[in-house]
Amino acid sequence: MADLRKRGLTTAVICSGPFLKLGQAQARVFGVPDLPLLVIQHPLGGQALDQVKARADVAVAEFVKLLRRDAP
Amino acid sequence: MSNLAQLLAMPGASFDTDDDFDAVNALLRDKGWSDGLPMVPPTEQRVAAMLAYCDRPWDAPIAKIAPRWGEATPLRLAANAVMAGCRPEYFPLLMLAIEAMCEEPLNLYGVQATTHLCAPLVIVNGPVARELDINAGHNAFGPGHQANATIGRAIRLALVNIGGAIPALGDMSTFGSPAKYTYLVAENEAESPWEPLHVERGLPREASAVTVIGAECLHNVNDHESLTAEGILMTIAGTMATTGANDIFYAAQPLVIMAPEHARTVAGGFTKAEAKLFLQQHATLPMSKFSRENIERRLKVTYKDRYANAGLDAPVYAVQKAEDLLIAVVGGAGKHSAVVPTFGATKAVTRALRTADGKLARSVADFKKQRVAS
Repeated sequence: MADLRKRGLTTAVICSGPFLKLGQAQARVFGVPDLPLLVIQHPLGGQALDQVKARADVAVAEFVKLLRRDAP
Repeated sequence: MSNLAQLLAMPGASFDTDDDFDAVNALLRDKGWSDGLPMVPPTEQRVAAMLAYCDRPWDAPIAKIAPRWGEATPLRLAANAVMAGCRPEYFPLLMLAIEAMCEEPLNLYGVQATTHLCAPLVIVNGPVARELDINAGHNAFGPGHQANATIGRAIRLALVNIGGAIPALGDMSTFGSPAKYTYLVAENEAESPWEPLHVERGLPREASAVTVIGAECLHNVNDHESLTAEGILMTIAGTMATTGANDIFYAAQPLVIMAPEHARTVAGGFTKAEAKLFLQQHATLPMSKFSRENIERRLKVTYKDRYANAGLDAPVYAVQKAEDLLIAVVGGAGKHSAVVPTFGATKAVTRALRTADGKLARSVADFKKQRVAS
């Protein structure tokens, strides 16, 4: 993901709240501190399919914003 | 560069503080360089004594430790070894263990950062295990031996201080584990009826080696009644088969530890390979023991071909392949074995202790001699 980011592609990592700091630290380690982290509600495991889809909807909407922002 | 004074003069390499145990510990804790226990102040003199057992450049990384991917230089490792209370002669083994656990198959990033409670377990084989008095007998996983306690602790300090395995930041383990303080033993080769673990894994008998496993704590197997190999193995297999183990869902390498009494009974009827096959075939649960959700969302997805149309009496295996199962002999007297599940997405790594010229080390003194000679 960091490599894709460095190549200029629109990229993001989806994580749930408790993993935000880990994601931020990893983004710094891999040289992409501005890598967008799209935060979804925790937990992801042990959820019914409609709950997973609801989290996906949140992430997709945020990613579409990024795509529009980066659009030429 | 292997001049300690020059290395310590580099920015951030050393800190000045009051020459006082409490002041040094306060500084280390403030920096976050801690496992929570008091630490031996890593003075220049103590670090130098540790590095006297290092025959490689002191500032050249031997590995990068996930999840921070921090560079594990001998200098940094030596400071952590001092803080943990290691004797200088332990240092070559600490270096080896860190190198081994940073090899890709172990998946240290996963082992460190997961919500699972695993920690790298180090099993030491060969003459250096005896030279350093690493406990392989009674209470091998418990307190009482400086080598077990402090090499394992130095590993943990390196994982935290260099690797960034900081709780709720780089170490997301839901529970953590006592094994995250220290988790290092030697195999009880003297009382094992089988070839040592490092020989089974392809190294010469005269080698000293570590085998690293991304492991849970051990779970005891009490069997005071079985008189046969099959009996002991049935009890172990029953303990291996649990519904909540990660290993079920991966090509995993769980570990079975047999204390010498159990091992001798098993070896009376089985080779090690045969024992592994028996355990793999018998460490099963009927699918009915799993929750409906786990059957539908995990078993029938992970093993679609096997379970898509299977009935509730279909066996679910604790380990997928017999040859993936690890068996080691550890412990003292007593009719006990132990089962050690793993993180699952991890492979054991075995690595031999070698001097910088690539030769097998016969003794930790080899590292000191070579340095003096150079």
